Amino acid sequence: MKQIGIIILLFLPFFTIAQVLEGIVYGNDKNGKQPLPGVNIYWQGTNSGVASGDNGTFKIRKTNGNHILVVSFVGYETQELHVHNLDPLEIVLEPNLELGEVKVVHKNRGTYLSAIDPIQTERINGAELHKAACCNLAESFETNPSVDVSYSDAVTGAKQIRLLGLEGTYSLLQIENMPNLRGLATNFGLTYVPGPWMESIQVSKGAASVLNGYESIAGQINAEYKKPDSEEKLFLNTFFGASGRLEFNGNGNVRVYKDLLTTGLFVHASDQAQRNDENGNGFLDEPLSRQIQVFNRWKYNNHKGYMAQAGFSVLTEDRQGGQAAFERDMQPVVSNPYGILIENDRLDGFFKTGYVWPNQRTALAWLSNFSKHQTRSFYGLNDYDADETRFYGSAVLTRDFDLLGKHSINTGFSFIYDNFSENLYNQQLERTEQVPGIFAEYTLKPSEDFTFLAGIRTDFHNLFGTFVTPRFHFRYNLGEHVTVRASAGKGYRTANVIAENNYLLASARPLQWTDDVFQEKAWNYGFALVQNYTLWERDLQLNAEYFRTDFQTQLVVDRETSSENVILAPLDGKSYSNSLQFDVRYQPIERLDLLLAYRHNDVKQTIGGQLVEKPLTSRYKGLVTFNYTTNLKKWMFDYTIQFNGGGRIPRYPVEGMESMQFSPDYYEFSPYTVMNAQVTKYFRYWNIYLGAENFTDFKQKNPVAGADDPFGPDFDATNVWGPIMGRRIYLGLRFNLNYD
Amino acid sequence: MKKLVVIFLILMLGGFTSEISAQKKGRAVVCFQSDMDCADCETTLYEYLKFEKGVKDLKVDHASNTIFIEYVEKKNNEKGFAGAIEKKGYKAEKISDEKYRELVSIAKESGHEHSHEVHRERE
Repeated sequence: MKQIGIIILLFLPFFTIAQVLEGIVYGNDKNGKQPLPGVNIYWQGTNSGVASGDNGTFKIRKTNGNHILVVSFVGYETQELHVHNLDPLEIVLEPNLELGEVKVVHKNRGTYLSAIDPIQTERINGAELHKAACCNLAESFETNPSVDVSYSDAVTGAKQIRLLGLEGTYSLLQIENMPNLRGLATNFGLTYVPGPWMESIQVSKGAASVLNGYESIAGQINAEYKKPDSEEKLFLNTFFGASGRLEFNGNGNVRVYKDLLTTGLFVHASDQAQRNDENGNGFLDEPLSRQIQVFNRWKYNNHKGYMAQAGFSVLTEDRQGGQAAFERDMQPVVSNPYGILIENDRLDGFFKTGYVWPNQRTALAWLSNFSKHQTRSFYGLNDYDADETRFYGSAVLTRDFDLLGKHSINTGFSFIYDNFSENLYNQQLERTEQVPGIFAEYTLKPSEDFTFLAGIRTDFHNLFGTFVTPRFHFRYNLGEHVTVRASAGKGYRTANVIAENNYLLASARPLQWTDDVFQEKAWNYGFALVQNYTLWERDLQLNAEYFRTDFQTQLVVDRETSSENVILAPLDGKSYSNSLQFDVRYQPIERLDLLLAYRHNDVKQTIGGQLVEKPLTSRYKGLVTFNYTTNLKKWMFDYTIQFNGGGRIPRYPVEGMESMQFSPDYYEFSPYTVMNAQVTKYFRYWNIYLGAENFTDFKQKNPVAGADDPFGPDFDATNVWGPIMGRRIYLGLRFNLNYD
Repeated sequence: MKKLVVIFLILMLGGFTSEISAQKKGRAVVCFQSDMDCADCETTLYEYLKFEKGVKDLKVDHASNTIFIEYVEKKNNEKGFAGAIEKKGYKAEKISDEKYRELVSIAKESGHEHSHEVHRERE
């Protein structure tokens, strides 16, 4: 498999017969038309792009397949132009500012890799989000080669993501460019972002910009919700799963005052009331659950440089798992069936605002969010209750040093307040983090082919003292087909030892921890090579990337040293991850998009004094996705195959173990394959989708150890490496009405 | 596993080849001249017309201000399409195929040709 990747890389053909289109871009501001340097200009649906030069001029290669030229620049309205000959163009951009938002231009292709962004970023837009049932953020990555989604345990239904083979906690999760869904929301947070509410997702790997904080060790995932000033008037989605899952989502936009003040209302409800125990171990395969969420957002844009957005959401969720015979009103005692009950209530709010000076060279932005989260739960006989209150605020000043935007700087300050109050094993844990910080990031962009980004921040942590975060990014276009990127950076994060690992309570062994909070530190280095070609008039994209993460301090979950406890302790020794990924995107026949991807994970950690493979982590992942649409896109067919490599299962020593004979699958799980398929039929205002997840019905055998005696010493529902649920057939309906 | 992939590919290819053949029996073509003035109108009209009864192929172009519709004869007629275009607030003046080709080629020469591919990309 590795060799195939290398062969693909060596395969560097130059098929294109291209012509050159020239033009000039102006910005229309107060003083009239001014040449605009640094404007991104690219062909829609491709990644071949350039930036305008000092006097606004640009040259871009045009091939037969390229028709729509997209011209975009921060602070201006994006323009899409139909271009069919080589006459010089004169383009005038109108000012507009959407600070703090990533502008995503609609493309036919669901996911693409940007050639312009200095950070290796995968953009997933609405088209991709239609390819899977996609009821929430966790399920949005089924067709994505970079992000793995797996169950944390066999009883709570919690899903976790992995980027570069590392747990989701090492990726900075953001909503609308503000850190979110952390702390108490770590375990279930991915299910708090309903798929139909999202407009797009950006996944970037490696060190992220210092503007977003000192976190993001493996990468950064940002979800953008739909905007209230978009074309969409009303959107409704209903989903029926054959196993009893019901979902309803809706959102509507109202133009309160012209296009200046707009508001959007979002609702979500999901319900799983049917008890499913397919493997017959007496435990529910998925918990009974109910979630209700309401979100209201407002946007004010005076179209003269000032913009403000605010919103709030309320969420309530409860989950009941464990033995199928457990009833909600039962007491958690040994004489009753084993039960798990988790109740989460959450309040979220955000406010962001920005202003751009009329000279377009200076901009000021403020981003802030707030959340209050309450968890009440028990796992068998273990109670876990917790409260978290969190605030984040950040002010950023952007300044271009010269008219051409060759040198620019982003600088500002941020503040984090995070208060935890937890109770486990009748032990009360209280702590407050207060972290003021300052940052600066310098961008050097001497030409459209070269970007260098250097960022540094210093944070003053009330618990861990002062620390410095340096980050570097580099991008260079080697000719028109090849883009190279490199990055290096340090990352820190606070390990909330209990809050992030409370799913481990679904085990007979109690948790043992040395500190309930400490700081994890790591360096990340990355290198990526993206190549874009035109092969038989269709775009071919080849991507190769390598990322290395080196931990200096880390929270290690040790399930294998002690038969008495699951030990949560600081790393003592080495811990690293190497991730090597190749992917190819092409249309072998008209309207059939094909993605082939392969990633090798080498994740090792010192556990109990020995450097071993990180348990429950697949050694590789292969992905093949097909997306076919009929002419006029009335039908869409999706088919995904995921190949997951084998890995290590953590086992703890038991008495007389030396003399016992274990089959090889006691310490190892084998590679397995999961397939999903979906058909979507589009009507004028409706579309209907029918699909099957995991339709080959592959399941991990015995996900719950000691299931026949859940209060006994062998009970463990946390050794999970594969799917718990088998084939899931679903049917859904979407309704969509736009403003004309 | 492998078998499944192969079967899937065969099905897809099979479905594809059947579509290649040009204008089939029972199909008719109608062309209109319209008065769209922006790319957005083009998208709106395209998205609306493609779901009119019987539509099998569609080209909407704001540069030459033309609309090309191939449809199943039994399922719809010229009046029906004209009505649909007018309902969306645009002019629908029926033109001949020759006139259509002429208008498109003029627009093409002046640098505004739009192939069907373009419209599909915009979805």
